[in-house]
Amino acid sequence: MDLIVESVSHSYGEVTALSDVSVTVRDGETLVLIGPSGCGKSTLLGIMGGVLAPSAGRILTRGRAPEGCLNPLTYVFQDFALLPWRTVEGNVMLALEHHPLSAAERRRRVAAVLDLTGLTDFASAFPKQLSGGMRQRVGIARAIVVRPAVLLLDEPLSALDAQTRELLMEEMIAIWTRERTTSVYVTHNLVEAIRLADRVLVLSRRPGRIKRMVEIGVPRPERAAPEHAAELARLHDELWSLIREEARLADREIQHA
Amino acid sequence: MPEPVPTRPQAAPPEGEARQRVLFRAGGFEPSAGRIAPWIAFAFILAGWQAASSSGILPALFMPSPAAVAAALWNQVTSGTLLMNIGYSVERIVWGWLIGSSLGLLLGFAMGMFSLARSVGLPIVSALFPVPKIALLPLLILWFGIGEPSKIAVIALGVFFPYIISTYTAVDGVPRNLIRMALSFGVPTGAIVRKIVLPGAMPGILAGFRITTSIALILLVAAEMIGARYGIGAFILAAGNLMQTDQLVAGVALLSILGLIIAFILGYLERWLLRWR
Amino acid sequence: MIRTSLAAAGLLLGLLGSGMPAPARAADAVSVAALHFVSSAPIFIAKDKGYFAAEGLDVEIKFFDAAQPIAVAVAAGDADFGITGLTAGFYNLAAKGVLKIIAAQSREEPGYDFVAYIVSNKAWDAGFRSVTQYPGKSVGITQVGSTFHYNMGMLAEKLGFPLSAVALKPLQSIPNVVAALKGNQVDSVLLPNNIALGLVAQHAGHIIGYVWQETPWQLGALFTSAKNVAKRRDLVQRFVRAYQKACADYAAAFLQRDASGKRVFGAKADALIPIIQKYVQPRPSRAQVLASVSYIDPKARLEVGDIYRQVAWYQKMGMVDRSAKTATMLDLGFIPHQLDMPRQ
Repeated sequence: MDLIVESVSHSYGEVTALSDVSVTVRDGETLVLIGPSGCGKSTLLGIMGGVLAPSAGRILTRGRAPEGCLNPLTYVFQDFALLPWRTVEGNVMLALEHHPLSAAERRRRVAAVLDLTGLTDFASAFPKQLSGGMRQRVGIARAIVVRPAVLLLDEPLSALDAQTRELLMEEMIAIWTRERTTSVYVTHNLVEAIRLADRVLVLSRRPGRIKRMVEIGVPRPERAAPEHAAELARLHDELWSLIREEARLADREIQHA
Repeated sequence: MPEPVPTRPQAAPPEGEARQRVLFRAGGFEPSAGRIAPWIAFAFILAGWQAASSSGILPALFMPSPAAVAAALWNQVTSGTLLMNIGYSVERIVWGWLIGSSLGLLLGFAMGMFSLARSVGLPIVSALFPVPKIALLPLLILWFGIGEPSKIAVIALGVFFPYIISTYTAVDGVPRNLIRMALSFGVPTGAIVRKIVLPGAMPGILAGFRITTSIALILLVAAEMIGARYGIGAFILAAGNLMQTDQLVAGVALLSILGLIIAFILGYLERWLLRWR
Repeated sequence: MIRTSLAAAGLLLGLLGSGMPAPARAADAVSVAALHFVSSAPIFIAKDKGYFAAEGLDVEIKFFDAAQPIAVAVAAGDADFGITGLTAGFYNLAAKGVLKIIAAQSREEPGYDFVAYIVSNKAWDAGFRSVTQYPGKSVGITQVGSTFHYNMGMLAEKLGFPLSAVALKPLQSIPNVVAALKGNQVDSVLLPNNIALGLVAQHAGHIIGYVWQETPWQLGALFTSAKNVAKRRDLVQRFVRAYQKACADYAAAFLQRDASGKRVFGAKADALIPIIQKYVQPRPSRAQVLASVSYIDPKARLEVGDIYRQVAWYQKMGMVDRSAKTATMLDLGFIPHQLDMPRQ
């Protein structure tokens, strides 16, 4: 399923966060949104998934959702957004409870994603008992249990330490390769972008506009190979030069919140 | 100062020097409630009180001795009025509290979730909350008579307003990100209230329990001002009317014990309902 | 404060003007605890007409909202004298040996309306017209052990029914009692005449009789602390003298009756009414004052035997401790020839 963003603009009161953004997320691809802080990338993600009403423009889908999809546009949150009073299993179950499935089918699906994310042993643990990495695995499990057409990830790794981030990235690549999930991934981390993206959409600072679309030509599974190191380094530098000056300005800005 | 800053001499191998222990210095500021200490303190207070009474430092005119209070309590036990007084009072508290808190819960939820209920309800609640319920007794008598309904109404009214406030605050404090998450998964509104808002507000709701049960106890005396023959409050009032200070203190002690029992039950409920914390 | 010092100064000037040598001592400052009711009138009169000042007393009136705190204030030494109705609470406090009754206040005396039996409209319509019909009825009273409670007890004894045949509802305050009557929540209440007349005027109830018609009794008293009686007898004597003088004025003004027995109020009443209106709250009209002026003995003499009967009744009902001795609560030495003296 493709996800089409058609001339979307958005403003919070006086502040224009997004200005005339149009982009199409192609079925099966991973599109990474990067940009300096305050460029409206999270806003764009919210609009894409229909949890934020844009001031102008619209979002369209094209094509059919995959077989058994319960929630076509599904989020993974930076802060995990787990219910502290539910166990790991209960948190994943939440996404299924309001759908007409048999209890056995629900349990089967939950067991499958817990297995996929390595959470089977933690099924009856409460979130407060888990490390940050484990919590985000629950967030991912909850998202994939509904077999989404497009996965919308809002800086899913930024609350984690570097080592956990590395581990989780490998797992996500493995899962995506298997499931062929379409994803939109918001980050401010260029390494993550280059590791995960098929294409990187660079947004400019406020108001957020499309600055450049950068294609990562190296197939994802091969990006660890040494022969691609130079190419990936070049891409990294290219992306950095695109956002460096604006990141510096953003850093020096006084928050108006 | 004109003197040059002395440079630190290169550290000599430390083996030759005397070793000094780094002492722990981050003690204190971690209060915890013990189990035996309160009983000992309680015993000491009682003993001191009795000593003051027996020696005449504390005249019986101003404060009865613990022995006199105990005798007054025992008198109630033997005459069989104790259970009757407790029974009537507990019944009034339970009904008054149930009615007041369930209505408060309902309105508090409405005000926590709906703009209209909030904008209408907040000023009304703020205006009516501080009205002393005792001042309304003549009106309550006209509305509900002098039977059980008016006594229950006094307690219910007293519980109702603080309960609205605590429920509303608790509901308002449920993390928005959890609600947004549920919305993004297409969870229907009713299920969001049941599965997200209610459990999310539960700590605040339970804290409200603690406050409102205390208020119910405080208002018991006011409630039983309305022609009550039995009840701990009626007993306290009669003792006050008759200037029987030993009975008065016995009644107050009974009220305190009731308060402790309720606090204990609530503590248990809290640990069980909030075991995820 | 300013008023009392002016009064003291006035007294001093008066003495100087009359050519008498000024007494060396200043006026003794004493306080009296009272209710804002017409029944405290002798205190108001004695103060306003300078009877206290003439006895060398600088009297401050401390007002309270209920009878109980008055007794407590005197027992605790916050006030030197107290004047109010006699209740079980009062006797329990007096039984601790801290209070002494020294003179009379209001009395239910034949021919003088004071506390009325009032029935609700509903009970009236159902045929409740006489005090003999009290058994089986509900009665709103202020408090357990109050004068109203005692009134019902006396009525039960006189008519020969057990008090338990009447459902007494203690409602703690006069407003609550009034509300219960207006809402037909009780069949009857007992209230002072001025409130009773007000309720009748509002068609909120019907008066079926007055307590004096059934059970005359000594309702209120002037009392002081045991300490004052023991250590400041002279001061107490002076206070009582001024009080008696005011009682005589009061009786001359408000307790007169014509040949047919009807009460008459003349110029003396008119002279005292402004004084009463000055102290009573809320400020009563002339008619309200006249509806409230209860019988007070012109010499402030007590019905002593009645005090014994009251204590005995409360003891029988378990409201006053059985160890209480009535004799220790009285000091009859300040007023000669008290009434109804029990034989020793």
